[in-house]
Amino acid sequence: MANDFSADVIVVGTGVIGCIVAEQALDAGLSVLMLEAGPRVERWQIVENFRNVPPQYKQNWNAPYPPKPWAPHIESELADATTDYLQLEGPNARAYRQGYVRYAGGATWHWAGICWRLHPDDMQMKTLYGVGRDWAFDYKTLDPYYNRAEYALGVCGPSEVELQWPPLPRSKPYPMGRLPFGQGEQRFTEAAARVGVTNLPAPQARNSGVSYDGRPPCCGNNNCFPVCPISAKYDAASALPRIESKGGRIRENAVVYRVETDEKQNIAAVHYFNPDKQSQRVVGRIFVIACNAIETPKLLLMSKDERNPNGVANRSDQVGRNLMDQPKISAQLLLSEPMWTGIGPVQGSSIIMTGQGDFRSKHAGALLRCENAALSAAGGQAALAKGLVGKALDTEIRRLSACTARLTIEHEILSDPNNRLTLSDKKDWLGLSKPNIYYDVGDYVRRSHRDYTLPLLKKLIAELGAVESTIATTFTNSDHMMGSCIMGTDPGNSVVDVDCRSHDHPNLFLPGGAAMTTGGCGNSTITMAALAMKASDSIVEQLRRG
Amino acid sequence: MHNIMRLIGIVICLAYASSNAFATDDIQEAVMRGAYMATASDCIACHTSAGGKPFAGGLPIASPVGTIYSSNITPSAAGIGRYTEDQFARALRAGIRADGANLYPAMPYTAYQLLTDADIHDLYMYFQHGVTAVDTVPEQTALPFPMNIRLSMKLWNLLFLGHTSKKADPTKSADWNRGRYLVDGAAHCSTCHTPRGFMMEELPGQYLGGAQVGPWFAPNITSDIDSGIGSWSKAELVTYLETGNLAGKAQAAGSMAEAIEHSFSHLTAQDISAIATYIKTVPPQHTASDHQSRFSYGKPYSALASLRGANPIRSDTDVEAGGAQLFDGNCASCHQARGQGSKDSYFPALFHNSATGLANHSNLIATILYGVNRTTPQGQVFMPGFGGKVNNVNVLNDEQIATLANYVIDQYGRGDTPVKSEDVAQIRAGGPTSPLLLLARMGIAIAAIVGVVCIAFLIVAWRRRAVNK
Repeated sequence: MANDFSADVIVVGTGVIGCIVAEQALDAGLSVLMLEAGPRVERWQIVENFRNVPPQYKQNWNAPYPPKPWAPHIESELADATTDYLQLEGPNARAYRQGYVRYAGGATWHWAGICWRLHPDDMQMKTLYGVGRDWAFDYKTLDPYYNRAEYALGVCGPSEVELQWPPLPRSKPYPMGRLPFGQGEQRFTEAAARVGVTNLPAPQARNSGVSYDGRPPCCGNNNCFPVCPISAKYDAASALPRIESKGGRIRENAVVYRVETDEKQNIAAVHYFNPDKQSQRVVGRIFVIACNAIETPKLLLMSKDERNPNGVANRSDQVGRNLMDQPKISAQLLLSEPMWTGIGPVQGSSIIMTGQGDFRSKHAGALLRCENAALSAAGGQAALAKGLVGKALDTEIRRLSACTARLTIEHEILSDPNNRLTLSDKKDWLGLSKPNIYYDVGDYVRRSHRDYTLPLLKKLIAELGAVESTIATTFTNSDHMMGSCIMGTDPGNSVVDVDCRSHDHPNLFLPGGAAMTTGGCGNSTITMAALAMKASDSIVEQLRRG
Repeated sequence: MHNIMRLIGIVICLAYASSNAFATDDIQEAVMRGAYMATASDCIACHTSAGGKPFAGGLPIASPVGTIYSSNITPSAAGIGRYTEDQFARALRAGIRADGANLYPAMPYTAYQLLTDADIHDLYMYFQHGVTAVDTVPEQTALPFPMNIRLSMKLWNLLFLGHTSKKADPTKSADWNRGRYLVDGAAHCSTCHTPRGFMMEELPGQYLGGAQVGPWFAPNITSDIDSGIGSWSKAELVTYLETGNLAGKAQAAGSMAEAIEHSFSHLTAQDISAIATYIKTVPPQHTASDHQSRFSYGKPYSALASLRGANPIRSDTDVEAGGAQLFDGNCASCHQARGQGSKDSYFPALFHNSATGLANHSNLIATILYGVNRTTPQGQVFMPGFGGKVNNVNVLNDEQIATLANYVIDQYGRGDTPVKSEDVAQIRAGGPTSPLLLLARMGIAIAAIVGVVCIAFLIVAWRRRAVNK
């Protein structure tokens, strides 16, 4: 069953999750139609968009991705009608200003490529520490899917056991060896060791020294976000031509706004608007909503019908709840000697052991990182602000660019049903509800920040020999959206089962960050990708059974 | 009981093995020498398909008269497992298969006919005993009429296949003679680098003077200063053959990258030196329009100052990108803003570069379309293509590639003849096609027409005679 408006598997969203499911289904001989709200733009055009962004917007990773009117996303610093797309409220509203991209290829266009797996303990928070939730399965269950996800994306990582995370024997080596540290990261690693913590090389979906999947090795352009100009970093955009070569069909500028159920509570169709605001209906056997933790619950809530008055897949009333991220605190340092960040990718290492410990019964664990982005823009702006001109300005730009460093803390957060996405009364260009989000990082994070991470950060700053430092006082977003269609075995308090299948609708799958039960303090993508692999197996099996 | 039987078995085996130790050693040594000759002859490049088993064939080779598929040369029934050494030698030297059918000269038997009996023997031992048998039959070559008549090759061989091996030249050093033997025999350099005549035969008068090979152009490698590589030192030639990368001059791509990867980078330093010694003495072939060497064009240049600022290009406007924008978005991230490449020359400079300095733009276009993938003992060098293959970083159309190529040759190379989008389309389609096919068919058609006219004339004449009688 495959024509313009039908396929075995309908995938909504063309990000990393949609692409993994699509390719797995195609490899199993199924027909696939992918629907993408945003446009499809060539990489070189995005590169030029980025290079032409005025300096004051260069730190806004969404600026090179001008949104289409029908697929708005946050473009925070630009004065534009679409800047108020996300309606944010609550004590930490600023910390949920998530910069995802509604473009074919999704937000991996501007991810850092970091692939920390969860630690086994992260999956048993209730049992071990009496807080949060336990996952419906253990780490061992997820391990083979992690391996497959790492090979699908092309992850490079250390072969030395003592540098691997989590600290368990790997069941399969990384597809590629690790990237070396730049000077800044090396210096940070040494400072961390003196403070008594270990800075590990981060596993990352980036080609180290060799090509992978026809994509070239990293050459250190150091603008992984907002775009890898040469596709050395995995992004889902690089998977789209391969999906098409396998017979998958990709329809961009197709904004899915309704999931239609039938009387047996199967999904019968999805409906989308094209840019002419005409509605189209697409039928299939399996439906996969892969729009991550904001757009997926938004779509489900918008799709309420007589049988599902709270929205599709929402008998539990958990759709849109339990929103998580990793509340971030940033610090900027000025050192007396050059730090030389900017050699290699924008991120390449982290102190992640600080996410584990018995303290987690009282407060959150966290990851600490020295950003490896070149700080010439920050250095340049700081030098200009001093009113210097001529050679003095040049010298100061060079000094500040070399001697500035940025450190980051990313805290784990507990799932809290009050952290919730609902439908705003405000409408977008198509007349669809904008997402409204209430967000409070909670005392678990605040205690961690006060008693644990801030003191450690200050030690690191001192150890690096900073002559000046500014530590942010506001939590910000990490772009790791999770939890809003939470996984569990009890249909009464969770949205999806162990395979990311809706408890309420047997042919509806919601893989990705929304399904994650806990997030730990590492980046969410590789866990999302592993869940997508697991869901794919289940989808293929379900269609084989007929 | 079983154990005792097993023990007896082992003892018998050991006794047998030791009695054959000498023979086995001889075979092993021949196999090892044969493996080296197979490397020098670069058999694997053509006889292995992408992702396929070694020597199992099936690689499509674009030729001006159609696609030729390489054969399985593993020691299996589907391969050459049943070949006697004589049959093997006849295939290599005369281009005749064991079943008597002729090979197409995509198989360089015109070069391999120079191989010594000893080298042929070693090659035979290697392909019979050193290669893993693969029992798959690759896709069969089906050239269009009249090229599908393999018998026509008999006439071709009669005209163009030499039958005498070149005698060593006593006035030259052993090094030079070894170099000539490798260049003209195993390495079959002239197969690509010597222009071919109307019948696809190598033109001896233009030996190594440069020729089109599918989408790529195998340039002039004679000692001419302007048209050839006369400006290279012997040491530079050695570096190029060992690594495929001579900074500030040339980088190997396409089938030359394959030759470096599979063959030259694995030869002994002595043999590479011999090849370089001989190549340096090849008589110059000069093209009148060449006034400076292809390695001397261009200089660093950046158009960035004109790109940024008031009216920057954005993907959400419909502005057509010019060469400078295409260069910045697609090339500059690796080759750098001024085209200067990287300091370690992993990313070569685009000026002082054979691909941009040639009058023939095939290599520039083919590199943009197909990229570069070359692995040597020093590691992999990889450039993605932009021609629309799966996983290409960007996909550019013929018009865009022509615009980009013209920017590159104008700033960094030899820009006297612009690249047209038709040129890109031709390289994208696999390179220029030969008029031979059309002419052969026209010839047959004309012969047929002439035949019909003759018969008609005879009939008319016969009738007239009958009427006159």
